[in-house]
Amino acid sequence: MEGSLFEPTLYIVKGMCILDNDGNRILAKYYDKDILPTTKEQKAFEKNLFNKTHRANAEIIMLEGLTCVYKSNVDLFFYVMGSSHENELILQSVLNALYESVSILLRRNVEKRVLMENLDAVMLAFDEICDGGVILDSDPTSIVGRTALRTEDVPLGEQTVAQVLQSAKEQLKWSLLK
Amino acid sequence: MSSFRRDKKEEEDGGANMFQNLDKTTLLQEARYFNSTPVNPKKCIHILTKIIYLLNQGEKLTTQEATDIFFATTKLFQSKDVMLRRLVYLSIKELSSLAQDVIIVTSSLTKDMTGKEDLYRAAAIRALCSITDSTMLQAIERYMKQAIVDKNPAVSSAALVSALHLSATVPDLVRRWVNEAQEAIMSDNMMVSYHALAVVAGARRNDRLSTVKLVTKLSRAPIRSPYALCLLIRHAAKLAEEDPSEASEPYLEFIESCLRHKSEIVVYEAAHAVVNLRKSARDLAQAVSVLQIFCGSSKATLRLAGARTLAKLTTKHPSAVSACTVDLENLISDPNRSVATLAVTTLLATGAESSIDR
Repeated sequence: MEGSLFEPTLYIVKGMCILDNDGNRILAKYYDKDILPTTKEQKAFEKNLFNKTHRANAEIIMLEGLTCVYKSNVDLFFYVMGSSHENELILQSVLNALYESVSILLRRNVEKRVLMENLDAVMLAFDEICDGGVILDSDPTSIVGRTALRTEDVPLGEQTVAQVLQSAKEQLKWSLLK
Repeated sequence: MSSFRRDKKEEEDGGANMFQNLDKTTLLQEARYFNSTPVNPKKCIHILTKIIYLLNQGEKLTTQEATDIFFATTKLFQSKDVMLRRLVYLSIKELSSLAQDVIIVTSSLTKDMTGKEDLYRAAAIRALCSITDSTMLQAIERYMKQAIVDKNPAVSSAALVSALHLSATVPDLVRRWVNEAQEAIMSDNMMVSYHALAVVAGARRNDRLSTVKLVTKLSRAPIRSPYALCLLIRHAAKLAEEDPSEASEPYLEFIESCLRHKSEIVVYEAAHAVVNLRKSARDLAQAVSVLQIFCGSSKATLRLAGARTLAKLTTKHPSAVSACTVDLENLISDPNRSVATLAVTTLLATGAESSIDR
């Protein structure tokens, strides 16, 4: 029987995307050249997917031969797609990794405005979770650890110290000039 | 009123504004800023983010435009800023299929992959393998082998996954890395052992005897990674399917032992395999009862997985599924429509008069 057993492959993820509450793409990646090869087809699929899922928060849907697991928060929708002959729970674990890492990166404010402000870090997280359809990592803490959040924090601290020094210097200068 | 609403919406979008109305001509102009020294990381990060975002939205670049941006990007290797460097890798990967002469960054990336900064190394390996062709690969082969057995799991995983991608185009070369990959299977890191197993099994794909050896050996080894176990179950199931004689009994025993694993992913993987392999309804009982539990889960994904596998089973063994009739009846009014539909169709296939009354 064709497709009865799961294929022993690592190319499990067919696509991942984040949509806003109008169903517009914020970020999307498709990993299989045979599935949705053009942007036009991808966006049509995303619209369809959004229309079918934005009201019912039902976690999983079978659509156009793909299994899509999803999760939403405030004005963002997270999707992970895989083939319909795939272990759904593996896809779910990828979705959890995506959502949790973004959530940590946005300091728990999972909404569009904050996400757009941190788009660079979210793009890197996307890249750390899945490489060409292969699950690279599914542990949110290690994913976030690799998305260079560290550097974001360090210069911020240095900056404030530098700013403090700068303002102190200026104050001193003014007091001397008087 | 409507204008007021629009204002409010724009206000809410505040942070999104800088990504609205982007057009590639302006961005091409802005990319020239990369040429200025010293590099201003913050500003360059912002421009690069916009470029990657625009590509992600599906904007088409001509070869010339992509090449221009690519070459401008290479100037950013002067900066040591980690975030910027990571975005440079990302844009190299995004542009590698569009731009010309991308191999120009080979030496910069090789330097980064052998350098001290771990955050650079893993990402540099992946970027490098996306731009190199088979002739260039031989030059970095030594580094790849080292990276596979590196202590840092991110580096090791990056090398293994890249090897996996490369095995599609240069299988002979990658086959020489199997010894290193084999060592990595026993890694403590869950992802490394998963990726390593895939590389080793992939290299032996057409050699049944050595696949048998590999699966037999690993089915006795204490593998902790749920993903790696799933992959092993799939290989064992494939071997059992190809040769349904007595010889497949050890594989089935191994798969059945996974029904008691603590991870749901592995349990489901094993149940799915058993349901597709076992011939008699009696042997199925254990797997079916696991799927039955899934049908009562609070998570929709688990309910769907359970119901879907049972639905497939009805064509082969309707009697085995009839034990779950009550559980499936509960799913008819499931909030998830896919689950409800599956339950109804399964019940229609197995249903008897007795169940119609209820």
